[in-house]
Amino acid sequence: MKPHCDVMVIGAGPAGLAAAVAAHDQGVRVCLVEREARPGGILKQCIHDGFGILRYESKLSGPEYAQCELEQVIDRGIEIFPETFLLSLGRGKTGFELTLQNRWQGVFTLTAAALVAATGCRERTGRQILLHGTRPAGVYTAGTVQRLINIDGYLPGRRCVILGSGDIGLIMARRLVLEGAEVVGVYEIRDEPSGLTRNLVQCLDDYGIPLHLSTTVTRLHGEKRLEGVTVCPVDAENRPDPARAQYLPCDTLVLSVGLIPENEILEPLGVELDRATGGALVDQTLMTNVPGVFSCGNALHVSDLVDHVSESGEIAGRWAATHARRVRRIGASQPIALEGELLYLVPQRLDPQAKGPVNAWFRSRRTLRQARLEVWAGERRLLERTYPLVRPPEMERIVFDLDGQAWAGQRFRVILREVRSGG
Amino acid sequence: MTLNQVRAALARVGLVGIEADEERGAVVLTGAVASWDQYVSAGYAAAGQGFRGVVNRVEVSGLGQQPMALPKKADGSLDGLEYDVVVIGGGVIGCAIARELTRWSLSVALLEKEEDVAKHASSRNNGMVHPGFAPTPGSRKAYYNVRGNRLYDQVADELGFRFERCGSLVLLSASWHRLLYPVAARRARRNGVDGLGLLGRRAVLSREPNVWPGQRGAFYLPSAGIVAPYEVTAAYAENALQNGAAIHLNTVALGFTVHHGRIEAVETNRGTIRARAVVNAAGVWADRVAELAGDRFFTIHPRKGSIAILDKKTAVHQSMVFGLLRLKGVGHSKGGGITRTVEGNLLIGPNAIEVPGREDYSTDPTDLEYLMTHHLSLNVKLRPSDIITYFAGVRAATFEEEFIVEPSRSIANLVHAAGIQSPGLAAAPAIAADVSEMVAAQLARQMEVRANPNFRSRRQVSPRLAQLPLTERARLIRQNPAYGRIVCRCETISEGEVVDAINSTLPALTLDGLKRRVRTGMGRCQGGFCTPELISLIARETGQPPTAVTKSGPGSELLVAETKVGATNGGGGHQ
Repeated sequence: MKPHCDVMVIGAGPAGLAAAVAAHDQGVRVCLVEREARPGGILKQCIHDGFGILRYESKLSGPEYAQCELEQVIDRGIEIFPETFLLSLGRGKTGFELTLQNRWQGVFTLTAAALVAATGCRERTGRQILLHGTRPAGVYTAGTVQRLINIDGYLPGRRCVILGSGDIGLIMARRLVLEGAEVVGVYEIRDEPSGLTRNLVQCLDDYGIPLHLSTTVTRLHGEKRLEGVTVCPVDAENRPDPARAQYLPCDTLVLSVGLIPENEILEPLGVELDRATGGALVDQTLMTNVPGVFSCGNALHVSDLVDHVSESGEIAGRWAATHARRVRRIGASQPIALEGELLYLVPQRLDPQAKGPVNAWFRSRRTLRQARLEVWAGERRLLERTYPLVRPPEMERIVFDLDGQAWAGQRFRVILREVRSGG
Repeated sequence: MTLNQVRAALARVGLVGIEADEERGAVVLTGAVASWDQYVSAGYAAAGQGFRGVVNRVEVSGLGQQPMALPKKADGSLDGLEYDVVVIGGGVIGCAIARELTRWSLSVALLEKEEDVAKHASSRNNGMVHPGFAPTPGSRKAYYNVRGNRLYDQVADELGFRFERCGSLVLLSASWHRLLYPVAARRARRNGVDGLGLLGRRAVLSREPNVWPGQRGAFYLPSAGIVAPYEVTAAYAENALQNGAAIHLNTVALGFTVHHGRIEAVETNRGTIRARAVVNAAGVWADRVAELAGDRFFTIHPRKGSIAILDKKTAVHQSMVFGLLRLKGVGHSKGGGITRTVEGNLLIGPNAIEVPGREDYSTDPTDLEYLMTHHLSLNVKLRPSDIITYFAGVRAATFEEEFIVEPSRSIANLVHAAGIQSPGLAAAPAIAADVSEMVAAQLARQMEVRANPNFRSRRQVSPRLAQLPLTERARLIRQNPAYGRIVCRCETISEGEVVDAINSTLPALTLDGLKRRVRTGMGRCQGGFCTPELISLIARETGQPPTAVTKSGPGSELLVAETKVGATNGGGGHQ
């Protein structure tokens, strides 16, 4: 029996949409499952602009970007299962077996030769950064606030404190002000902001919203609805200094304290995760350690630009199709050793058999001025690049080529170091 | 047995200037101290001196009486109602008692001051059905714990809640602790605990490979079990409702009309209700309720415990409950450990801290650090990053550390079920059975009490899809497509289940209520994705605007206004 489709894409956000299109264009049968009623993922609620600068060379809103991607899926007649929930994932005789549920078909099973997991990420919550005190109404993650305001049309509070300077938090600071709420300030435990520079300027500076670095929220107050928070400066080890604690009355705390890739559905298959990214360990084809299972988008590693998300979707989709058609020989992939100031690098492994340019993305551990990145295969340098500034919030993308060489057995290294000026 | 003994005991702990008097067989303490710790020490010093209980009226400087959170509602809608029995308190004890009372042909009402049942200790514990090994032999705690534990299989079957007899291990930290086994075995025998065993180090490892490597064997208690405590409470409440009881939420007992040693009526914020008998199951407020009836002989001193919830992913790492044998004891707690939930999470904790606030559920960094250092290490696979959230509960402890399950000695138609702290959840079925007998006996003196011929012990249960086989799920979705639409992705809860809970006999009309009833928002995203969906479902089903939807009753509204553009009619998640 043949499987239902060659490539099954899980999730119809930007990564999944791009993966479906790329797989389809390789001439295989593609299916897309999406748990929400409408495709587009989190872009649906991102009504601000700035999407697609790389991919479309224009500043689109989130819904516009999603629409551009969706139209390509529709034009190709790719099968989409909307409002369909993946209950479990296993292996069957003809490939991967997905047990799905929706209101029209009830519970049903589909099989696929290859999988692309484009399941996105979730927000870290207050308790997951060890916030204490009471548990009143009025404590929301930034994405929830964004959904409430932009999709549902409701304002969650009037006087807001924002914890964390992640991009969604910055964008919601501005959005809340535009809706007439007061934003007391943005508080960031680290000594540098974690959002993109353009958001710091356009969302905070332009609206006179103060950013307090090396300061965090230590306690929530109020039984029913939030009445206030204690904010407290921290020392170099992020320990709060109670002597300098301050009580801030507010009815809403908006948390923008990190995103966690969602890969729980893959765990039963034995997919290995990278502790640094929270996503799967992949080779340059974005295949995980489980042959036939690919990962992309924010489920692979959290990106700051949707353009990168779409690109990773394309790579995963294309290689998943190649895998389904059994034209790819899977070699023994080798780990890439990271040296210097790299927080992470995706992919984490290289398959010397997979020909073609290698797209890779990395983040630094800390802000570096005049940094140099080098990619080595054994004694041979494949790439060298210098950067005037590298910041952890801004992901960097590199491309290098493995073509025409027998790399098996060679050691791959990627090094990121600060270059002393005049050195 | 004399007040002088109490005075000497107070002096021994360095407390001077506290007066001790006797009232209704209880010792009454008055005076003033500087700290809450001293207040608690005074209570303990006076306990166990032969009196019936300790009424601790000692004032703590700078600390007024801790306020009770009162319902905002005040109307006369219940004025003039008349019941054979009024049960005060909608925790697991009150709800179980109400259900047991419906076995008789009595009109029963339960008053709960909150907007839902199981809002306090009954939803703020680790769900353990203790085996009954820990309580002192001969105590009421031991008696009710063991009897309650044995009743759970039957009650779970009748009421349709999940109950697993997973067993527990009391881990030994030194080889010589095994020598204590005969002592433990005698205690188990005296308490009536079934099946106590001694496991060597390897036997423990073969059953629980991830157990703390420092263990040197364990006492094995196969009768230990786990439940979802809020599910048990709601199940009792729903079955009581299905058998004709009334549950008045947002209703607080403010006073009693007492005439010739009998309660004639209960005064509430919603009018005066006539009652032929009253049950005090008021949890942390049980001493205040007793006082309102002029029958106070004990004191509830709140003891807070915090518990951390770990991601369901950790469920594979452990199948039994783990605790550690502590020879010295940690205050008056069994010491906590790692429990499993019927839903598959692991729980660590609780700790035990004396606090003045009876409804103080705030958590502190020190609590969590304690759990991480003392409990997390009992399983080598667990990491602090597995914690998805944490919460606190408050135990309704008396200074005697004993359950009070008895008819009042001064009021002819009042029964107390008070001081029911841990293992109260395990004991609940047995306490409820006894209390309902006591009430029936009191009522039999003034009226004929017959069995209720229409009593149905089985609760009608709404389907919980995640617990059903796929074929059954598919059948339900064909019947009602709303069961096919998942709204809580982490816990796989469908719109149909949420709607059932909102429209059930015991409606869940708040975000927290839904959480207790169907688990929405209890998963790893902690409501990040489903909160907007749930707000719009509650609004749709109840006909309220979304701005009126609350997290936990009036005052906890989740939204303040429509945006400038205006609401988009229920959101984009479904159309």
